[in-house]
Formats: sequence, C-alpha cells, structure tokens
Amino acid sequence: MQAWIDFGQGPLFRLCFALMILGLMRIFILTIIGMIEAYNRNEDKIVPFAELIRLTFSWILPITRVWTKRPVYGVVSVLFHIGLILVPLFLGAHVLLWKNSVGFAWFSLPHALADNLTLIVIAGGIILFLMRAIYRPSRALSRKQDYIWPLLLTIPFVTGYLAVHTAFAPSAYQWTMLIHIYSANLIMVTIPFTKIAHCVLMPLSQLVTGVSWKFPLGAGDKVIETLGHKDRPTWVKEPRVALDEDSLSGKEIASK
Amino acid sequence: MNRVQNFKLILWTIIGVGAAVAAARFIFGLGATTNLSDAVPWGLWIGFDVMSGVALAGGGFVITATVYIFKLDKYHGIVRPAVLTALLGYVAVAVGLLFDLGLPWNIWHMIIFWNPHSPLFEVGWCVMLYLTVLLLEFFPVPAAEFGWLSTIRNFLIKLRMPLVIAGIALSTLHQSSLGSLFLVMPFNVHPLWYSPIMPIMFFVSAIGLGLMMVSFESRFTSYLYRKEAETELLAKLGNAAKWIFLLYLLMRFGDLFLRGQIGHIFAGGWQVKMFWVEIAISAAIPLILLSIKRVRTTGAWQWVISIMAITGIVLNRINVGGMVHLNRGDTFYLPAWTEITITATVVAGAALVFLFMVERFNVWEVRPVDPKADPSTLPEFDYASQASLGRPLIAARTKYSLAFVFAAAFGFMLLSNQSLSSEGVIAASVEEARGGDTLWVDGDLDGYGVSFQHQMHIDKNGNETSCVQCHHMNLPLDENTGCYACHRDMYIPTDAFGHDWHSSPHGGNLSCFKCHQEDQHKNAETAQQCDHCHDNLYPAGATIKVDNYHAPGYVDALHELCIGCHVKLIEETGSPDIARCANCHNDQRDVVEAVDGTKENILIGNVALP
Repeated sequence: MQAWIDFGQGPLFRLCFALMILGLMRIFILTIIGMIEAYNRNEDKIVPFAELIRLTFSWILPITRVWTKRPVYGVVSVLFHIGLILVPLFLGAHVLLWKNSVGFAWFSLPHALADNLTLIVIAGGIILFLMRAIYRPSRALSRKQDYIWPLLLTIPFVTGYLAVHTAFAPSAYQWTMLIHIYSANLIMVTIPFTKIAHCVLMPLSQLVTGVSWKFPLGAGDKVIETLGHKDRPTWVKEPRVALDEDSLSGKEIASK
Repeated sequence: MNRVQNFKLILWTIIGVGAAVAAARFIFGLGATTNLSDAVPWGLWIGFDVMSGVALAGGGFVITATVYIFKLDKYHGIVRPAVLTALLGYVAVAVGLLFDLGLPWNIWHMIIFWNPHSPLFEVGWCVMLYLTVLLLEFFPVPAAEFGWLSTIRNFLIKLRMPLVIAGIALSTLHQSSLGSLFLVMPFNVHPLWYSPIMPIMFFVSAIGLGLMMVSFESRFTSYLYRKEAETELLAKLGNAAKWIFLLYLLMRFGDLFLRGQIGHIFAGGWQVKMFWVEIAISAAIPLILLSIKRVRTTGAWQWVISIMAITGIVLNRINVGGMVHLNRGDTFYLPAWTEITITATVVAGAALVFLFMVERFNVWEVRPVDPKADPSTLPEFDYASQASLGRPLIAARTKYSLAFVFAAAFGFMLLSNQSLSSEGVIAASVEEARGGDTLWVDGDLDGYGVSFQHQMHIDKNGNETSCVQCHHMNLPLDENTGCYACHRDMYIPTDAFGHDWHSSPHGGNLSCFKCHQEDQHKNAETAQQCDHCHDNLYPAGATIKVDNYHAPGYVDALHELCIGCHVKLIEETGSPDIARCANCHNDQRDVVEAVDGTKENILIGNVALP
C-alpha cells in the first residue's frame, strides 16, 4: 500500500503534473495560432478589443451575468471556484510537500480557512451537479463530462478532508490517502483534454469568438437581399433583451 | 501509411523526452543526470554528439570538393543535401557541446581569452569558422525564397569558390584536430587506438564516413518521400569509398605494426573485442561488400553497407572519445539513459530541421510533397468521435504537439527522485598544510596539491612585516593562524564564528545578552562584533579586511589570495608566467617525494601501461 502511495506521490505525480502544465501550454498556444490563422483568412479585420475585454472580465464574476436568472447558481459557482483554486495551491500540507521536494515554498492558508473552503467545495460540487441534473435547460445542454466533473472534483476534497481529520476514519488513513492522490492525479491528467482547460483558456474565450467567427463583409445584407426582405427590419438591430424574453415568439420579434 | 508523418511523430516523441531530461540537466547539473565523473569526464556526449557529429558532417567537404574543385558535375544533385547535412551536423555539435560543458554560458570565452597552447583552442576555432562557412554556403538556398535577400544571395553565390576552398581547408584542419586532441593523453587512450598519426586517420575515416552518410541520407529520404532512389549515383560513391576504406585499413594496421603494438590485437579483454568489432564494421566488411560490383549497385545492399559503416566509424569516435580510456581506479563508464536521450534528441532535432528545409526550400531538384500535407487534400476526421481534425496542417500540428507533451511528461516521470535533487557540492574537510620552510598545501589530502615556498615568500616580502600580507585573522591567543582554521572546507564557505559553540560549555557558555542587545532582535547585524571580547583578533595592518564571518572555501580563498598577488607581480617581473596555473601547480611527483618522502602517492594520475 505504502509503495503505491509513494509511486502516486513521486513518479506518477510528476507525470500527471507535467502533463497538466505542458498540455495546458500546448492548448493555449494552439488556440492562439489557430486564432492568428483565422484572423489572416478573414476579410473583416475589425476586432472590438475593448468590448471583448469587458466581456471577458465580466465573466470572471458570473454573478453579474446570471444574477437575474439563476442567482443561486452564480453564487455557488463562484464559491466553488475559489475553494477549488486556493486549497490545492495553498494548503499548508501541500506547500510543505513542495518545500521538501523542490526546495521552495510559498504562502499557505490558515488551517481553519482551508477546512471551511474544502467543505464549501464539496457542498458546491454536489449542488452544481444536482442543478445540472434537475434544471431542464441545463440538462439539454450537458454532455457526459459535464455531469462527471463536479463530482470528480469533489473526490480529492472529500478524501483530503478525511485525511486531515483522521478522527473520522483512523484505520482507513492509507486508503484515504491513496484515493486522494490517485484521484488528484487523474484530474490533472484530464484537465488539458476536457472542458477544465478553461482554467487557462478563459482569457481567450471571448477573444476567439471575436477574432475568428467572421462572415465575409456585408454577408448579412446580401442574405436579406437574396431572400427579398430588404425593407424588413432585422432582429440584429433590436435590443438584446428582447431575445431573452421567452414570451415573445419569432413573429412578434419580426413585427417589432 | 504516411511515412513522413509517422517519422516526424517519432522524432517529436524523442524530442519530448529529451526536453524533460534537458530541463533536469540544466537545473540539477551534470552529476545528477549523467554517469560522468571526475575519472571519466568525457563520455557519450563528446564521443557521439561532438566527435561523430563532426565526422558525419564529412560529406559536406567531400562532395563540395568533388563538384566544385574536381568539376565532377554528375554529383551536382547531391551537393545541397550534403552541405545541409554538414551544417546540421555542426549545429548538432554546438548544441551537444552546450549540454556537456559544465558552464555552457562561458563558451564565448574562447573567442576573447586565447590559449593557443591548448588543442581545444584549435578545435573550437575550427568549429566556429567552419560553421560560419557552412552557413554562408547554404544560405543562398533558403534565401532564394525571399526576394529582399537577393543582393546578399547573389554576393554569396559569387563568393562560392572561396567559401568552398575555406570549407575544405577548415574541415581538413578540424577533422584531424579532433584526432590531435587525443594525442595529449597518451596514458589514457588504449594503445590499439593511440597513435601519432591519429589526426590523419581521423581525417581519412571522415572522408569515408562522409560518403556513406550522403549515401544513407539519400536512400532514407527516398524511402520517406517515396521518390526514386539514386542507386546509380550511390554505386559510384560506393566505388570511391572502397578505396578510402582500403587506405584506412592499411593505415590502421601499418601503424600498429610500425609502433610494435600489433601484439595487442590477439590479447584478451573487452577493449580488444571492441577493436575487432569496430574494424570489421567500420571498414573491413564494407570494403569487401563494396568491391563486389553486383552488391554495390543493389539498393538493399546500399542500405546495409551505409548503416554498417556509419555505425562502425561512430563507434570508433566513441571508443577514442571515452569508452576505451584507461581509467584511474577501476571505474567503468556506461552512458546513463539520460545521456542517450539527449544524444537522440539532438539527432532528432537535426533530422526535423532537415525535413523542414527539404519540404520548404529547394534543397533537391524537386520539392517532396507529403501527400497528406498537401493543401488540396480534404480535412481529416477522428475515427472514433467523427470530430474534425481540421485541415492536414492543423491535424499534423495537433498530433505532433500531443506527442511532444506526452513524451515530455513521461520523461519527467522517468527521472528518478535522486536525479531530481542533486547532491550539490560534496563536503570535503580541510587539513593543515604540512612542512617547514616549504609547505605542502593539500587540504583534502588527495595527492594533488601545491608546494608553497613559505620561507621564500617571507624573505622576498620583508621578513617579519610580511606576515600580515596573508594572515588576516587569528584564533584567540594565537598568532598567524593558518588558513585551515577558518576555511575549513575545500569548496563550501564555512562559518568562522561558531554561534552554537560559543553558547556551549566549551565556548564559555555565554548567555544571549553577552553579544545581543536585550531590546533588539537577535540577529547578526545587531550583535556585538567578535573583537568586542577578543583581543588581537585582526593583526595590525592586515591587508585583507574581514567584514563578515563566512569564510570562503579553501580553494577559493587561496586562489584569490595567491593569484591576486601574482597578477600584480606580472608587471614587476615582466613575466606573465608567474600568474599561470603551472607556476604553482607544477610537477607534483617531485613535491610529494620531497615533502612526505613516500612514493605511494607518486603514481596517482598515471596508469602503468601493459
């Protein structure tokens, strides 16, 4: 058992960690290269940078974006992310592991705060899973990995919490550590190849759309002309809010 | 099956593992990542990356001489690939050397600080100059693609003859100077290899290897890009190589015979077996095969012969470069997997650049087309998910980067915990210098030391007044304390103060506030200085001022003290020799005998040859 734990903490951890870092760098660079190529192909070279930056930053705090519709989701999601990022990086025990292996260390969270954040992540993961499973529009948009990730992410937190508070399961300490280490390794390996890659792609998320999704100049006008609706107002010029109103049917929008 | 893409995938995988190892090598150092040691400082990297890299580049000067000097125009088609191979070979040498040098960032020192007595000085200059010549020779090929470079290109084409001549001259110098390098170690290289004509043998074998390399490269790229092989031309090259191999064999055995070392070829030992393997595959078997016309004109045999000869001559370079060195003690060197990986990475990198050049520029008469990378082919789809992999270029990019990332992560996994935390500098405690008027200064008692004429230095520097020029700190109640008392380790700075010792019963059991102030933080800055209690700690008029209690390592301290003074003496005496290493580190055998009277240490450093 101890040999498996040592392997998970040593060589396997190095493999998974390196794969995560290099894989994220790879996907970041490939995205940027793809974006540059798309930009070079486009006829329309106008990129609304100010707007894209504003959008990107506003999505960092999604509460501002989804407050009107799904406030619970917005709050839980933000809290979940805070714990998810801070605890693995700044937990005292993790920092100590780094210090013992590579020789340098950094700031660590107070013990009580780390504990509470861990509990928030566990609760948040479960709530996010349930909301996704129960809320019909989310279910329609979800892939398999969307259900798996919130639960998978909580596994190292549950086992980590049990490992710190050994009073819960004193005899199963090694098993707890084993699951903790191997589930964390599994997460690190899969991050660059699944949606969790948004941890580095997030700054590019709006930029990619703004730079690469271009129709040829004047394409919209030509389509309308071809369809013979030249005198009709187009919905693009309407305020965005109108689209979010479920009560308005397509006809009503067109008549506006 | 797409041969080009699969081959490139393999190359990227190798480079991925190599990148992980390279990171470890540059972060943790040579000791952590190689099997090299003080006894075997040169290994695979010198033998393969440097020595063989240079030899593999031999095709460059052989083919340019054939075409431009001897005007054999039928070989014109293979000039550009041969020059490109030579260029990449030399770049690989330079890159490989950066891994092997302990302080690679000092590589430019050779340009400024000349040491014309060193064979490496010639080697280094030849590498730099020939690399430059090769760059200039090859530059017109890629420059043809860029209109704005046409002026430079035309100028270089006019300069072609001088460049070719310079290239041949420098190659001749350099191929042979690698041999000369080993002339300076007659006691290290096994007598079956050590020979006064080693430079000439290196040169001759490089010509043979150059021809074989061109032949291999032509066959391999024909296979890769599915183009028609130049079998006829390669047969002619093989015919020429035959005579070179014959000459080489005659030289090897004639030399052994004339030097009276021929008896060694029948002696036992793995080095002798190595000799026979090397002779067989580097020259003897290729010579026999190339002599048969039907064999040398057959494609499959051309593969066999070229691979065999290349392996053989590379083995020769590795042997001379380190494998058959007779070591002090019985240390045995086999390259670590990390060394092999770095070597493979350098080769893979060169191969990738070669393929890039060939696909992108007019290295051959016709640019090869990788059918799947043709812009007109349709996008690829993943078999399982039916997701689009994009246009072939994007698909290739995705695959190569994925191979690289996985391989690099795997490389990090393979590096053992030990190799990720190097031992650092090994502690070596210092012993007092022994002797009277002449002191034998050998801190770690390894037999390598300096005989220091203590009395002579006193006499020349003004008798009693001279002590303070070197002795700058005394132990309490002592005078002219020796260096070893504070500089207690050969390389690691030591603490000349001893905090815990002072608070122990032996050191007076001092309370904190004997030195620290009660109302201040207890640290070195706010504490009392040593001379607060101790009298006569610093001799009056000492030249060296002590401003903290970290004594540098013994070697550093003495080098700084002696060299500092000796450099000033250059002007006074007018002799630059006085500040050279050998002025103090002179013949040690006499010194050991004179000082200690024992003969046991005398033979350290030399192995009695059989």
